[in-house]
Amino acid sequence: MKYFLSPRVGVCVLAALLLLFPIVFSDAFYRDIGVTFLLAAISASAWNIVGGYAGQVSVGHSMFFGLGAYTPLLFYTLWGWPPLAGVPIGMLLAIGLAVVIGMPTFRLTGHYFSMATIAVAELIRIFTGTWSLVGGAIGLQGPAVARGWWDLTFRSELPYYYIFLAVLAVVLLTTAAVERRRFGFYLQAIKASERAARSLGVPVRLTKLNALALSAAFTSAAGSLYVIKTGFIDPDSAFGILISVQMLIVAALGGAGTLFGPLIGALILVPLQTAANTWFGGGGSGLTFIIYGGIIVLIARFEPGGLCDLWRRFATRIWRRAHAA
Amino acid sequence: MLLEAQGVTKAFGDFWAVAGADLAVEEGEIVGLIGPNGAGKSTFFNCLAGDMQPTSGRILFNGVDVTRASPEAHARAGIGRTFQVPATFEDMSVLDNVTVGAFLRHPQRNDAREHARRIVEMTGLRPEQAGRSLGTPGRKRLGIARVLATEPRLLLLDEALAGLTPRELQEAIALVRRIHESGVTIVIVEHIMEVIMTLTRRVLVFNQGRVIASGTPEEVVRDDAVIEAYLGRGARSHSRASGNP
Repeated sequence: MKYFLSPRVGVCVLAALLLLFPIVFSDAFYRDIGVTFLLAAISASAWNIVGGYAGQVSVGHSMFFGLGAYTPLLFYTLWGWPPLAGVPIGMLLAIGLAVVIGMPTFRLTGHYFSMATIAVAELIRIFTGTWSLVGGAIGLQGPAVARGWWDLTFRSELPYYYIFLAVLAVVLLTTAAVERRRFGFYLQAIKASERAARSLGVPVRLTKLNALALSAAFTSAAGSLYVIKTGFIDPDSAFGILISVQMLIVAALGGAGTLFGPLIGALILVPLQTAANTWFGGGGSGLTFIIYGGIIVLIARFEPGGLCDLWRRFATRIWRRAHAA
Repeated sequence: MLLEAQGVTKAFGDFWAVAGADLAVEEGEIVGLIGPNGAGKSTFFNCLAGDMQPTSGRILFNGVDVTRASPEAHARAGIGRTFQVPATFEDMSVLDNVTVGAFLRHPQRNDAREHARRIVEMTGLRPEQAGRSLGTPGRKRLGIARVLATEPRLLLLDEALAGLTPRELQEAIALVRRIHESGVTIVIVEHIMEVIMTLTRRVLVFNQGRVIASGTPEEVVRDDAVIEAYLGRGARSHSRASGNP
């Protein structure tokens, strides 16, 4: 029982399962679900840094995702650069945008940050749809045929799966490092009480800004991964509000402010979405919104701490019983 | 002089919560601030801690003007504060709560952890206990422990001992005394006269945003203006007639 509940064993088992998944399930359909799951986990883990740990709920994170998605294809379209070259530039642009948004909004308290993120994401979406340089409403297309390995255009889902898995590992390892350091302690203190954190010398605005910048960089990387795999982007699939909402819900379902919460959220939500799309086909396109709405209500009403919190309580109870026996 | 507040005022629209308050605290003192509810002492206290900026006046800490400085800057300068309603970091353990404060002077995690452990031990808390599971006495104690971890020269205690049972109160008084003996200067806002009488040598009495009396605890409880402020105008003559303060 002791070993079963040990976090280290849990992490090893999870890593093994993720590594073996595309080998055990070699069907393209399952591998595609695996890739979608990883992308959702990366995006939600990135959101989690600022939304979960720091408690600054962004509902417009698609702006960073979209920047990361558009930049590689824009450079490819303009100068024929491999999309991979645009990834770090997209991340830098996302950091710049995070600073521009965070500087004024983090001066305010309450929900202004959330409102500002929605507004900026929507403005960018509308603007992108009318800007011919980035393809307007039609969007941009990547290389149809790979010119070399650096274009990262593969027929199989398998290389994408392992690339995405590697990026997820980087995001999670970074988050774990953040959790253990002063930065992580400060984020949690800010989430609990900004006033108290400030009285202990925590530089609240700077810490929130750093969290947003880090989160934006990873979200941008997620957008780049998405576009490298699909080879196409348009304003709605880059900056649509549903993308932001999905990050938020995946993290909240699993447990916002926990390391593996977003992973667990993605593990439940992605198959659920795929199943809904399969069962209802094109007629069920609005079902995603209903699922999201339902999950928000359930989390808010019954488990604000998400499934990780539920598991922690359950594990503690079992641990105590095992100890008492 | 460690702390000097000169003619501090704080207005909310037409209402003057603090209407020209002065305070001077020497290093090593324990000074009490008392007054009836709504007297303006909490607002004045918030101005001292950097939580509010005064409308006018000056606050000097160790000779440096901190009137417009942020709460973070106050903490860095060596001014620590507790809150009337303890703002515990609920999802963090006691040790983690205190570690947040310890990071101010010990940026490395291991150093901060070690320093936090010493403070937790000194305040008699259980390091691994979750913040959310603490009762009122534990939360008050944690509030003090957390600010102590920032190694303040001046500690502002805002009703840090309110809501405790008599036994808990005695323990808390002993804790404040130990903190003072370790060299920390203390300004304490408190309603419980036992705390003021036991701990302080000098008391300032607030009423309607002004300091109406100051002196030793024994002096201020006999002061006519203080009796009137607490009990109303009729109380002064009654007090004289009966010979009681």
